[in-house]
Amino acid sequence: MMPATTGLTPRLRHVLAAQLRATGAALRGPAVVAGVSFALLTVLVLIERADNSARVIAFHPEHQVLPGLLGLLLPFGVWRGEAPFGRGVLWTLPVDRRTHALAKVFAGWAWLMALVTLLVCWLLALVVASDGQVLAEEVRRIAPTAATARSGSLGPDAAAFVHTSAQPLLWLVPFTASTGTYLFASALALGTRRPLAWVSGVVGGTLLLVTLAEAANADDLLRQIDGGLKALFYGRYGVDTLLTARTESLQGSATLSNGDTVVVWSALPDLTQWAVATAIWIAAGLASLWAAAFRHREARPSSRWSARFLAGKDAVGRQSQQGIRLNGRKVEQ
Amino acid sequence: MSGADAVRTEALSKRYRRDTALRAVSLRVPETAIYVLAGANGAGKSTVMKVLMNLERADEGTAEVLGMDSVRCGPQARAQMGYVPEDARHPYGWMSSSQLLAHIAAYHRSWDVSYADRLRRTFELRLDRKVGTLSKGEARRLQLILALAHRPAVLLLDEPTDGLDPVVRSRTLAVLAEHLADGPTSVLVATHQIHEFETLADYVGILRDGSLIAQLSRDELPNVVGRYRVEVPEGWTATRELRSAGVRGNPVREAEWTLVGHRGDLIDRLTVTGALVHSVRPVSFDDAVVALIAHQVTP
Repeated sequence: MMPATTGLTPRLRHVLAAQLRATGAALRGPAVVAGVSFALLTVLVLIERADNSARVIAFHPEHQVLPGLLGLLLPFGVWRGEAPFGRGVLWTLPVDRRTHALAKVFAGWAWLMALVTLLVCWLLALVVASDGQVLAEEVRRIAPTAATARSGSLGPDAAAFVHTSAQPLLWLVPFTASTGTYLFASALALGTRRPLAWVSGVVGGTLLLVTLAEAANADDLLRQIDGGLKALFYGRYGVDTLLTARTESLQGSATLSNGDTVVVWSALPDLTQWAVATAIWIAAGLASLWAAAFRHREARPSSRWSARFLAGKDAVGRQSQQGIRLNGRKVEQ
Repeated sequence: MSGADAVRTEALSKRYRRDTALRAVSLRVPETAIYVLAGANGAGKSTVMKVLMNLERADEGTAEVLGMDSVRCGPQARAQMGYVPEDARHPYGWMSSSQLLAHIAAYHRSWDVSYADRLRRTFELRLDRKVGTLSKGEARRLQLILALAHRPAVLLLDEPTDGLDPVVRSRTLAVLAEHLADGPTSVLVATHQIHEFETLADYVGILRDGSLIAQLSRDELPNVVGRYRVEVPEGWTATRELRSAGVRGNPVREAEWTLVGHRGDLIDRLTVTGALVHSVRPVSFDDAVVALIAHQVTP
């Protein structure tokens, strides 16, 4: 007997739950490897702590590049076994293709947030284990100019000391950074047939352009490329602002006149700048993802070239249809 | 579309770069019918199914399942279909069979858990094994469960018995027959193993180089393909039309051929050339389909 529910499409919440389970199963292997690695790392940190009990670990999850890297790599696990431009299991199921693709991306993002939460909790546990204080005030050495900070050496009075209190809002950086990179990597995995070839192509193309510009002594072009890359990675709203709220590019090490090496900041992280950069990058990531998912919509067009080619072959089509009409009549008899 | 068609394509055309996969294919699978789609490798059988599932987009033409356009109503159409793809291996190799069954079940509100379990026991499939470690035959059996357990109104089976050993093959066909007897299901099956569906098939379609060259009911088959015993005069040679219908060689007195074409037309053509038709016997479903695939059908 045919059940009454035959032909009904699944509810969105069931699709999301199924994708959460499937994505979780796909990520289980890499998660186990990561878990073992972190266990070993914890042991190493505890051993180091036992040797140097005076060292206190500060809680700065915003300094970590790992969440951003995790967001970049995770989509390749999420889309494991799926071939968006080929035989995709996803497309055989009774869900709108674009919605389904986005549901899978959402499921991967949910796991990503869980992993980042674990990472932040692990950092917090290390801080607590090292007798560190999460909300403690810190003293930072600020160079008078960015050029001074970059010079690598400081005079005794060249830096000012600033007392900074903890900024809990910056603890969101690992979550937003991984979300931003995850959106772009997901768009790449979903929207291109060969994502790795695209990445290699862009990197290789840039290197080739630089090499050619150097060979041709095209200083203007080199300056433009250098300026563009710096703006992209270390600009006010660049990649570094998304990934670490500029805590990576704003701090450096400098040698004092007495020979000591210290951490020196060219400026303190700007929350507004980070918020704007995050909004820009996540909006761009969402737009890229939407465009990538759009390629897989139900009513996607076929190749225009193919259609034009077929139009020129209508004589063949007519011949075929004659045969079909002859036999089609028999079916209807 | 007429209410009587479960699957209907209208002038469906598809090209892959310079290769033509489908040329204006207009196919009809009446409701509750079992339609065998036959043809040589690369004839376009799998492409028809992929277009119906909206896995491939046709360059021209339309495809409908139970009156729903496979593009505009893709999810609704797929909810009504059970699909066994040509490739036996399931891409979710890291999942266990039970996980995969649960995953697919979540997408079908009509999933029948007890029926899925019964199928699993019939096919002797172990659920604890990873999908990636299943043999080709086991993977095919798993796909059959996935296609049948939500009791779809339309089944698209692409070489469903490929990779199965003879015992499981016969069990599979028995399961299919039982499934069809249990509820109104229309089936479009692409296969090279025509004889396996001899007792089940209601209609047959022949694809050659992407063109549907014949489409007829099982009852019509004996009128289109038959075994002709013919006596010919000395020095008799066949006309081009008769050769395209299946006449082979230059017989001296008597010959037997499996010929394709309307019986009356063929008898007339043979008689005109001086040949005398002694008898026309029906051929098996398998032989008839092979003859249709091998010979050029002429109006």
